[in-house]
Amino acid sequence: MNGSARRQWLVARREWNQRLRTLAFRISTVISVVIVVALILVPDVYGEGANERTVGVVGESSRELPQLVRASGDQLDLSVETRAFADEPAGRAALRSGDVAVLLVDQQRLVWKAEPEEQLQVAVTSAVQVLQRREAIAELDLTPQEAQRLLGAPDLSSASLGSIAQQRSEREELAWIGLLVLFTAIAFYGGFLLVGVVEEKSSRVVEVLLSRLRPSELLAGKILGIGLVGLAQLALVAGSALIALRFSENPTATTTPSTIGWIVIWFILGYGFYSVLYATAGSLVSRQEEAQSIQFPISAILIVAYLLSMQATQSPDGTAALVGSLLPPTAPMVMIVRIAHGSVPLWEIVLSIALITATIYGMIRLAGRIYAGAVLRIGPRLRLREAWRRAEA
Amino acid sequence: MLEIHDLTKRYGDVVALDGTTFSAAPGRIVGFLGPNGAGKTTTMRAIFGLMRPDRGKILWRGKPVGLPERGRFGYMPEERGLYPKMRIGEELIYFAELSGMSRTAAKEAADGWLGRLGLADRAGARLEELSHGNQQRVQLAAALVHDPELAVLDEPFSGLDPLGVASLGEMLLQTAATGVAVVFSSHQLDLVEDVCQDVVIIHHGRVVLAGVVEELKASSPHRSLEIAVDGNPWVPVLPSSTVTSKRDGRLRVLVDASVDVADVLASASRVGEVTMFSFEPPSLTDLFLAAVSEGGRS
Repeated sequence: MNGSARRQWLVARREWNQRLRTLAFRISTVISVVIVVALILVPDVYGEGANERTVGVVGESSRELPQLVRASGDQLDLSVETRAFADEPAGRAALRSGDVAVLLVDQQRLVWKAEPEEQLQVAVTSAVQVLQRREAIAELDLTPQEAQRLLGAPDLSSASLGSIAQQRSEREELAWIGLLVLFTAIAFYGGFLLVGVVEEKSSRVVEVLLSRLRPSELLAGKILGIGLVGLAQLALVAGSALIALRFSENPTATTTPSTIGWIVIWFILGYGFYSVLYATAGSLVSRQEEAQSIQFPISAILIVAYLLSMQATQSPDGTAALVGSLLPPTAPMVMIVRIAHGSVPLWEIVLSIALITATIYGMIRLAGRIYAGAVLRIGPRLRLREAWRRAEA
Repeated sequence: MLEIHDLTKRYGDVVALDGTTFSAAPGRIVGFLGPNGAGKTTTMRAIFGLMRPDRGKILWRGKPVGLPERGRFGYMPEERGLYPKMRIGEELIYFAELSGMSRTAAKEAADGWLGRLGLADRAGARLEELSHGNQQRVQLAAALVHDPELAVLDEPFSGLDPLGVASLGEMLLQTAATGVAVVFSSHQLDLVEDVCQDVVIIHHGRVVLAGVVEELKASSPHRSLEIAVDGNPWVPVLPSSTVTSKRDGRLRVLVDASVDVADVLASASRVGEVTMFSFEPPSLTDLFLAAVSEGGRS
């Protein structure tokens, strides 16, 4: 290893050793692992709780209804029971208290507590539909074979419709979790870096350091060291998630394992982009109190990226999502959402990675100069242009 | 040999360095002295590339100083600066390694320094847990841990009590005795008189006096005369004398070196009982004041 590489490595190793020891790191690691594993396993522990529904039935209703509702529920991975009530007020009371998820009145109307549940609505509607057709068939006086042909179709179409909807909601959930993990990790480790840069300035240790190494070496070493800590934590969480998945019997999106892998890759790219911004911001101020205000513009960009990604969970193939997944500041988070949905062509991912990598390279060159101009300056907050000029002088 | 030649630096209208020139030799301690704002820190920062001068050269063994040379220098900045939350043993190892030492050598050197400072049992303590004096010692150790050929210490004595000054002075002497060129700065000229062998006095960014302390004192055209006469505030009528202090009936004047000492003592005895009398080479402060006033005249 030559002198420069060795010095960068020493800086990175110091960050690694020091950060790994902090309480913040240990606590956040434990919490992240627990949350992610719980998200995957807890529905198991509660049995089928998440998929159990009870339909309240009031008024005119066929004796065959409970069995038909159960059957159409099964097609949608829902375990649906029925419960009869004497009158509508009693049924409404049960609906309000949450004993039943929906109330079917006279096989005509569905009454919901709040938002209709798409899946359950499909299950009940198709059961009622079957009943109505049977009545119609009885009136038409058809042979059993003819009746069977008429009745078979709705069941089939209902099953395939339901399964797509199910996958879709699971992918949406996955996208949402991936987005949250990525956003938290980038903001957390970016903030770590900023505080570290300011700490070196405020304790003046930077003077001793820069008498022994170049500003760019110090900057690169710090970004690398803290990034490795973040990567290690993320790998630990991702690893626990993959292990938990093997033991879980919950239905999960088919894109889950690959999305977990992509989260790690997009963390590297997202951290690479934002860490340079955070480190540059840190070099402009001299005191920890100023660190809060200087990181505001960066946090604002991160939050815009987050909001755009939230929107992308709803329409992962829309124009906004496409553009967002290519622009470097928003790409990591928007892309992970689209990847979770499993609808991104490979060339778009490759293009997005190429764009962000090129941007990071350019930013490191710019930031290195600003950092060098600003990091030795103690006093009031520096303007970017001033730092730029100082490095030149 | 460190050679600083014609260093010049302006900050807007303020001239921080105005052709500063001096050198430091291996095995000797140079006191880099001058009042606050004279340009001491600016010069030292320039040696470590923390400030880029507008003009001038800094040479080590005849070569311009760059990063490889600085790896063989040790620096203790005025504002200090170590990681407050790091364990001091690790901190010393880190700085030794950054200067190019192998990990094993760095560990050995750090242990050696902690032992020498009487902090061997506290290697695992965080810097911020130590007393002020001990923090200062660790800071010095961080500057010297990699066995530098040149040690540059900015105000190493500031904030130390007399015992601390004495023990730090002793440490600098030991360091210089191993062949290290030591340069330290101070604005308290008299405090460090006994520590430095060579002196460079800087004022408004210009070196006004430089040389071996004893030689400068001996070759001075002045002598410091101190006298106390019981009950009588007494002013000797002497040619070209300047009163430098008058306190508790004790008088200190700067006189011509050619003054007849016996004569002065005799005339003092006629006024009253002489309780104190000394005739010595001038102090560094005297030399500094003389140099500055001469500089003003020229």
